[in-house]
Amino acid sequence: TLEPHFTDCISRDLETFRCWWSPGSLHNLSTLGALKIFYLKKDSHSSEWKECPEYIHDNRECFFDSNHTSVWIPYCVQLRGQNITYFNEDDCFTVENIVRPDPPVSLNWTLLKISPSGLSYDVLVNWEPPPSADVGVGWMRIEYEIQYRERNATNWKALEKQPHTKQTIYGLQIGKEYEVHIRSRMQAFVKFGEFSDSIFIEVTEIPNRHGLVPFTLVVIFGIVGVLIVILLIVISWQQRLMMILLPPVPVPKIKGIDSELLKKGKLGELNFLLNGGGLDGLQPYAKELYHEEPWVEFIEMDKENEEGGDKVDNCNSDTQKLLGLPHRNIDGLSAISHPDDDSGQASCYDTDLPEHDTQMLIASMLPGQPENHQASLDAPASETGERPLIQTQIEGPQTWVNTDLYAQVSNVMPSGGVVLSPGQQPKMQENITGSEREAQKGGKKSEDCEDNEGIEDWKKSEPQFQLLVVVPEGSGSTTKNNVQQTSTPPNSPVPGPGYQTIQPQPMETKPATMTDGSQPTYILPESPQSQLFTPVADYTVVQELDMHHSLLLNPPPNHSPSLCQPQHPLKAPMPVGYITPDLLGNLVP
Amino acid sequence: ELYFLPSKNQIGRVSHNCHTSTILTPNGKENAQRIAREELTEVILKLLVAWRDPLWHFHQDMAQHHEFNNFSSNKSLEMSDMVHELRKGVQKVVEKMQMLGIISPSIGNLGTPEALLASDSAEWRLMNDYDLLYCFRRDSNKIQHYLKILKCRIVPEHGC
Repeated sequence: TLEPHFTDCISRDLETFRCWWSPGSLHNLSTLGALKIFYLKKDSHSSEWKECPEYIHDNRECFFDSNHTSVWIPYCVQLRGQNITYFNEDDCFTVENIVRPDPPVSLNWTLLKISPSGLSYDVLVNWEPPPSADVGVGWMRIEYEIQYRERNATNWKALEKQPHTKQTIYGLQIGKEYEVHIRSRMQAFVKFGEFSDSIFIEVTEIPNRHGLVPFTLVVIFGIVGVLIVILLIVISWQQRLMMILLPPVPVPKIKGIDSELLKKGKLGELNFLLNGGGLDGLQPYAKELYHEEPWVEFIEMDKENEEGGDKVDNCNSDTQKLLGLPHRNIDGLSAISHPDDDSGQASCYDTDLPEHDTQMLIASMLPGQPENHQASLDAPASETGERPLIQTQIEGPQTWVNTDLYAQVSNVMPSGGVVLSPGQQPKMQENITGSEREAQKGGKKSEDCEDNEGIEDWKKSEPQFQLLVVVPEGSGSTTKNNVQQTSTPPNSPVPGPGYQTIQPQPMETKPATMTDGSQPTYILPESPQSQLFTPVADYTVVQELDMHHSLLLNPPPNHSPSLCQPQHPLKAPMPVGYITPDLLGNLVP
Repeated sequence: ELYFLPSKNQIGRVSHNCHTSTILTPNGKENAQRIAREELTEVILKLLVAWRDPLWHFHQDMAQHHEFNNFSSNKSLEMSDMVHELRKGVQKVVEKMQMLGIISPSIGNLGTPEALLASDSAEWRLMNDYDLLYCFRRDSNKIQHYLKILKCRIVPEHGC
């Protein structure tokens, strides 16, 4: 059995309080007015039981207003029936200890922010303190506790108690619905008030906002990266891009000639090019250079030649060019061109072809000597005379190894021969070697005006003569020692050092016809050996022509030329190095 | 922490006579609002003064008796220090208020040792620890409320 008792006594605002009772199992006391409530207020020892100041029978409640409420003073309540007093010591209390504040009101929430991942968000919850609690005066200090849970969860999550009227909930997940309620209690006290009504928080996914930010970032970074790459390409390939976008306008060019070289004024390279590089276009250019010298004819070169070339090859090429092919170097300025192909390639020792050509050339050189031609034509039959000539001629250039690479073409024969003026002094040794080579060749003797008989003598005799052979290189002097016939010293005019002339045909034929060998077939310059060492002038004047229309470079001043030295007295001394046209006329019958 | 009550085995009993019962204190909000600020301030100071020695002795007892853990001992020391600091603070505030003319300088010598001796300070020695703590808890609550009301009456802004 359960006797009437008090269920609870609560104060909401620390100013008033209420007590509720129940009649218990004794139903007969549940009627109205059957039970009375008395309270005792223990202050200053004037304690007497008083009846409840205000009954609320509907609730079985006894209400103590502010006039009857004293804080910090113990209260005791009891139930009294007809004759029975129901009292329990546990029903004594002080007001501040029974305070349970009302729950806060106006619960609301706002979205704080969504995480970058778009999966969670934070919410700020705010509320108003319970109106019953006089917080404004400071009489009540309330602290709050928020609890939240997912919609269908069973356990509440409680946040830390705090006295402010707003609080943030972190880590809520998008798409889920949350239930939130709040309660309050007095600071430093234990008893909480009732929970507020729940509010529901839910944030649905916002795809645009969620995916937009990272997408825009990606786009921006991509564009920036592409721009940087393009910038780098433009900077590094600036030149090439300029070439592609703005190709250079083609300017007129001469084939084989670099305009840059001309601008730079490199004569050496230019000469080289002119010599052999720009083959086709050189002729007009070269002609411009020598327009002042009309008698100078320029001969085209067929190919590029090495500058200097081999010494042996110089000999070959020169000879071949002279005798076989009408390839000449432009005088003075150009390097000696060296034939690369077979046209002039025949070595000095290759006698077959060059012999033939040589003979033909020689024959053509002396236009006024048809019989010579005949003789020359017949000469191939008898090689003795010719070959020595050829050989010497061929070998002539050999002696000019160390001579200058340049020779000026001082005159060009109408027949095609070229008169060159060497640039340097001849050398004796080469002459000797040349003669030795002749000896080594096995019997092919030097060109000479000797006949076959005098060949041996000629071998042995010191070279007294100089073979006048046109050297295309203009290399120095072509001092070819000719084996003179036994006795007679060479009466050939002294060539300007290293002077070479094409051996006139008649000279060659001479030995063939003259068995005596007294008639020199060559114009042998008078140059003694001593003369060989003198510095050579670049030009030599053709002083006179002999009776055979041979050019005499330095005619002997007094005596008539020996048989081997056909001479042609010149009308007048010539300035060195030049042949005037009238002289040419003299030369050419 | 100010109102921390060490866990005792005794459940709350209501029959208490605190040594500070002689001090007339307003028992409700209205009463506290009605009295003058000077009286209110005086009441506060009286309470604070009355509790200085008892708390000190209480702490001494707690430290000596090792059956209590360190937590209780530290808490008792905290309570003693806190009350001490609070009293000093209130005295300064009162002096300031008197200087500003907010309250009349009728309060004077509450903090002096003479005032302390005047009070019946022997009662608290008879109380057991539980009752002592109970009384202290009640009085500290009073002090807290009175200070709050006083603050809002003097300085109405900031949460009043």
